[in-house]
Parts: sequence; C-alpha cells; structure tokens
Amino acid sequence: MDFSDILASSIHDIKNSLGSILNTLDALINNPDNQLADSQQVSLLQHETQRANSTLIQLLNLYKLGNAQLTARVTKQHLGDFFEDVIADNQALCRALALDLTYVCDVQTTGYFDADLIHGLLNSAIGNAGRYARTTIQLSAAKTSEYLVIRLEDDGVGFPESLLQWFTLEQHPEQFMVSTGGSDPARTHLGLYFAARVAELHHTPDGRKGYIQLRNNYSLPGGCFELWLP
Amino acid sequence: MADEEYLNKKYLIVDDFSDVRSAIRSILRSLEVTQVDQARDGNDAIAQMSSRHYDVVLCDYNLGPGKDGQQVLEEARHNLLLGVDSIFIMITAENTRDMVMSAVEYAPDSYLSKPFTKDILKRRLDKLFERKADLRKVNKAMMAKDYNAAIAELDNLLAKNPKNLPDLLKLKSEVCLTATRYDDAMVIFEQVLTEHETSWARLGMGKALYWKRNHAQAMEMFKQLIVNDPNFVAAYDWLAKTQAELKQFEEAEQTLHAAVKVSPRALKRQQQLGDLALSNGHPEQAETAFTKAVTLAKHSALNHPSLFAGLARSKSSNSKHIEALKIIGEMTKVFPGQPEAVFYKATATAAVKQNQGDTVAAMDAMQSAEKAIVQCGETARSRLGLEMAKTYVQIGEQEKATLLLQHAIANNHDDEEFLMELVQVCREANFEYDTETAIREIQQRVVKTNNTGVYLIKQGKFDEAIKLLNEAAEEMPGNKTINLNAAKAMIIRMEKQGASMDDILTVRRYVDRVQALAPQDWRLHEVTSRLKTITPTI
Repeated sequence: MDFSDILASSIHDIKNSLGSILNTLDALINNPDNQLADSQQVSLLQHETQRANSTLIQLLNLYKLGNAQLTARVTKQHLGDFFEDVIADNQALCRALALDLTYVCDVQTTGYFDADLIHGLLNSAIGNAGRYARTTIQLSAAKTSEYLVIRLEDDGVGFPESLLQWFTLEQHPEQFMVSTGGSDPARTHLGLYFAARVAELHHTPDGRKGYIQLRNNYSLPGGCFELWLP
Repeated sequence: MADEEYLNKKYLIVDDFSDVRSAIRSILRSLEVTQVDQARDGNDAIAQMSSRHYDVVLCDYNLGPGKDGQQVLEEARHNLLLGVDSIFIMITAENTRDMVMSAVEYAPDSYLSKPFTKDILKRRLDKLFERKADLRKVNKAMMAKDYNAAIAELDNLLAKNPKNLPDLLKLKSEVCLTATRYDDAMVIFEQVLTEHETSWARLGMGKALYWKRNHAQAMEMFKQLIVNDPNFVAAYDWLAKTQAELKQFEEAEQTLHAAVKVSPRALKRQQQLGDLALSNGHPEQAETAFTKAVTLAKHSALNHPSLFAGLARSKSSNSKHIEALKIIGEMTKVFPGQPEAVFYKATATAAVKQNQGDTVAAMDAMQSAEKAIVQCGETARSRLGLEMAKTYVQIGEQEKATLLLQHAIANNHDDEEFLMELVQVCREANFEYDTETAIREIQQRVVKTNNTGVYLIKQGKFDEAIKLLNEAAEEMPGNKTINLNAAKAMIIRMEKQGASMDDILTVRRYVDRVQALAPQDWRLHEVTSRLKTITPTI
C-alpha cells in the first residue's frame, strides 16, 4: 500500500465523518424543539466543519501538485450557472452566519476553466471571507480581451497592507509560504499559495498564464480576491 | 412541478455504511422523496436493480470489499439495468476528476463529492432531470440507432443557444463519430478549438482523423494532448491504438505502460498491455499486466476467460508451467457452464503443453477446442478463431492455422481493428504467413462478391443477387457488410414482389447477426426500419 492509497482511504473516512456531522447539524438547526445549543454555536460548528472539508480537499490537491499529478481540465463554463453551483454549496453556511451570498454577472458570460478546481478554491475563499464579512459576500465575473476575472468580495475590514504588498511584486507562489513565520494557521497563506498554483495551471498555448490578485475596496468596502484566468 | 418529479421517482442509495445511507435518505425525505431503497454493497445493489426499475441511483464509489461503485455501474449498464431516462450518480470522497477521465466507456450521469448538502443534491438532481427531459427525443432516436434523427434533434436544441451548449456540442460530435459522419464531427472540433484549446475536442479530432485513416496526423493530436496533460489517459489509449495501426508495436506497448501508471484500475487497458507485451516478446511484463487484469476482473461483469488464458500463457512463457495449469484449472470454476471458458481452457492448455514439449497432449487439447468452438455463438467465432490459429501455429500445424486465418479475414474484411489484431496474432506466434497479401486478396474477393450483388440489385435481377449474397452470408456469417447487403437485397425484393414468412425470418437472422456483432452499427437503422414495414403476403 503506497502513501496515496493511505491518503485516499483516510480522506474517505474523514469525509464520511464530516458528512454525518454536517447532516446532524443541519437537522439540529431545522428542529424548532432543539434545546441543545443556541443556533449561533451550531452555525459555528457548521462553518468549521466545512472549512475542515475544504482544507482536506486542498491537502489532497497539494499532494497531487507535489507529484505533478494535478492538471487543469479546462472546459467552457457558463458563469451564472457555475456561480449558482458554488452558492448552493455554501448557502447553508452563509444562512447560518447571517451573511448574504450573491453573484453578479452578465447572463451570457462564459469562460474556460477547470470547474472542479475553481469551485474548490472558491469554497475555501468563501469560508475565509465568512470570517471577515459583516453582511455580504459577492461573487462576480468580468471579461477583458485576454482574461476572465472572477472576483470574490466581502464587506469586512479588508486585507492587511502587508499582504497586499506581496501582490505589487513579481509573483512567486512559494513566497506566500515563507512570507509569515508564526504558528497561526490563518497566517501561513497556504490557501493563497494553493490558489496561485491552481491559477497557474490554467495556461494557453500562446503562453498566457493564470494568476491571483488581492485588493481592497473594489465594489464592496472589504477585501477582494481576484482570479485572472486566460 | 419540480417537486412532483421527486415524488414519483424511485431512488436507490448504495453505501456500505448504514449511517451514511440514512443520512442520504433523510436528505431525500426532506426533498419530499418517498420511494427510497437501500443497498449495503455492490451485489445487493445489482440484485435490487435487477428486480426493480430505479429512476435515480446514488452510489458511493468506495463500497468496501467486493465490487466498487464503478463496477456496479459497469454491470448495470452491461446488463441493461438502467434505462435511458435513469440517472446514476457516483458519490466520491476523493476529487472526482481523475475518475471522470478514466471511466470513458461507462461514465455515470454525474459525480457528487461528499459531504454534500441538501441544496447541492437538489440542484444537481434538478439539472439532471432537466437534461434528461431535454434529451428525451435525442435518446429515443439513439435507441432506434437513428443517428441522423438524433443529430437533427440536437441541432434543434443547439439552435436555441442554451446554457448547456458546450455539452450538447460534445454530445453531437460523439453521435457524429458513431454515425461515421467524420467530417461533420470535424467541423465541431475545429469550431471549439478555434475558440479555446479543449481536450475533448482535441481528442475527438484525433479519433476522427484515425477513422479517416489519417494516422500520422491523429498521432500528433494524441501526443499533443499528453504533453498538455500527462494524466489524460484516454489520449494514451488512442495513441497506443494508432501506433499499433502503424505497426509501431514496441512504442504502443510503452504508451500503454505509461497509461497504466497513471490509471492502473482499467481492466481493458491491462489486458491490451498484456496482449501487446506477449506479442512483443516481453512475457514478464505480460504476466504483470494479466495478473492485474485478473485481479481487477474478479468482481466485474466484464470478467472473461480470455484474461485467465492470457495470464496462463504468459506464466508458461516465463517457464511457470505448473502455475499456468493451475490458473487454467480455475477457468471453468469461475465461468461455470460457459462454452467460451471450455474453449479458452483447451487452447491455453494446448499452449502450455506445447511449451512443456508434449505435442501429443497439446493436439488432444486442440481437439477439445474444436468441439468447444462449435458450442460458442456464431458471432464470437472470429475472435476465437484467432486464438485457435495462434495455438495451431505454436504446435506447428501451419495449414490449420492458415485456413482459420483466411476464414477470419473473410468474415471481417472491412474491420480494420480486427485485421490489426490478426496481424498481431501472427507476430505473437512468429508465423511466417504473409498476412498483408492474404488480407488484400481476400478483401478483393469479398468486395467483388458484394459489388456484384449490389450491381445485380440495381439491374433488377433480384433472384440472382439474393442467391449470390445468401451464399456469401452463409460462408461468412461474421461479415457485417455481406449480411446487411443480403438482408437489403431480400427487403427490396419483398417490397416489390411481396413477402413470405421464410424470407422475413432469413432477413431477421442476418440482422440479428449484425446486431450481435456491432450493436452500434449505423447501417442497422435503415434495414430494421424497412423490415418493420413489411408484412407477410404469401
């Protein structure tokens, strides 16, 4: 049995557990006679469970990246449809956190990307934005002549200046990893590293490559995470 | 409206954990679903699907010991347990993307990665119900093998510029390929690729070029795909196929070797690798591949005695004769009552005995093989004939082998893939037989008979045409073109001069042969639909 089998089988078990926690929590939330916990606590549990799930998928994909087994399978996507899928995946969480999760894009907007990979990436990003947003998280898509831009914004306090500065420099995903030392998992920027690598996997025969960008105050007052895909 | 969709449908949940099953069931209940059954493993799932029709099957990929989810799907499709309107959803814990690409032939309608919420499942089901409803007319035409009608229906849908346009274009290109409308398929691939590099279109273009016998260009497509995405196994399969067609057998073996590293769980690929390795004189690699194939096939509906025969032959080539005979001994236990198992047992035994230097025992075994092949269906005989020819060459019975090969060529004169297999078999057996010339001569003879028949029909000389084609069809029961034309000639005569029950039955027999040999053959639709309009008058 090699390590990838062990990883696959462990992930299967963990996911079964997470699934049953999520479903039990869902039942608790929907049960008006529930005396066990206040809904705020249950929501928090739900939020953390989904984050654990996103991190698990990210871990598996990082493992594959390390073994050069991860490639972007690009197909044509209808952005409105794609956003609705992403929102369906995160609706329960946002309802529980009393956040509005919406999307804005032209009905005709299409783009080329690996829907599974980008979906997973947005799940993590939404989980992260959920910690900072006050009332709203918004997805949007726009097209330039050479790129599709997917934006995820929130109305929180925005990204810290130190992090934004990394993006004014030439990007090397590895730098996200060393940028901050500390043991606080929220500050290792593993998620950003992964997002940058996944964006890079999207490239075209003429040499255009995907990348990520962070900014504040785009159309909402908080942080704005941008995915530029060729 | 949508809720009614849920209400009236029958659901089956397949998972080895009862907690997971009841969690999914409670999600379904909350969607107002009332008819839900559960299965705890693959065998249980197949048993329930055999006794009851399900509209939606939610099946976990990982089912513990025994069949996995993919094997449940394969068996269900293979035994026609799922209707065209049924929906099979594979639930996976791992990322689904690798499976999507490795399960090309038996793909589920959708993948769902767990854990999933009620919202996700509802959205997925809504989409799938809508898609099935959209494609109802297309699927109906596909069932009748009326590919032109299916393409026309798809064009109607495409004209509305719907959200799922890319999916419909992909589907249309697949139907065009099945209908041998390669140029129409090429138009789609070019259109898609001009907009953006897309692997399904690149792969499709390679396939179309392959079928148009433009092998060098096809090879470029497949190689480019592998450079772009080294994990795209379908490209390896097609590259190997093209390399074999160009007689680059060593390269084809290397390509498949790389493919099984990426995706080791595909049964057919392991078998092809084993066959190639054996004919390339690499019995050790062949043994590895066949050992994997036999293990993978254990719980599969696609398990076949030829896998055991391949493993026994490679073991024997590695001088492990005793182990080989042991494997041969298992065949009739694993496949009880199957004449093909008796046949493969006999030919494999002959090969091993010959390797041990016991030609008398080998000839004895071949006598059993001769008896067994008669018990096997008419349509399986071409392939079995190859196996037999290969074994006769090994024993030194060249003349018997030659006769069998000639017969096999005549029955498959226009089947490129089969003829390539035949060339490979001769290589494997080290048979100094000029297959190229034999194929060319026999092809000419068959084509001449066929053309004469068609010419006579055009001249209105039905009786002569039918006599000629009927004789040819009896001589070459495995030849699809001859059988179809014999059927056509008789249909034209019946349409003009009235039909007897005998004639109708003869035509039906020809059609059934082709149906059994190539259920997807695009030429079947015209013949079957014309036959339906004929009633006995005499």
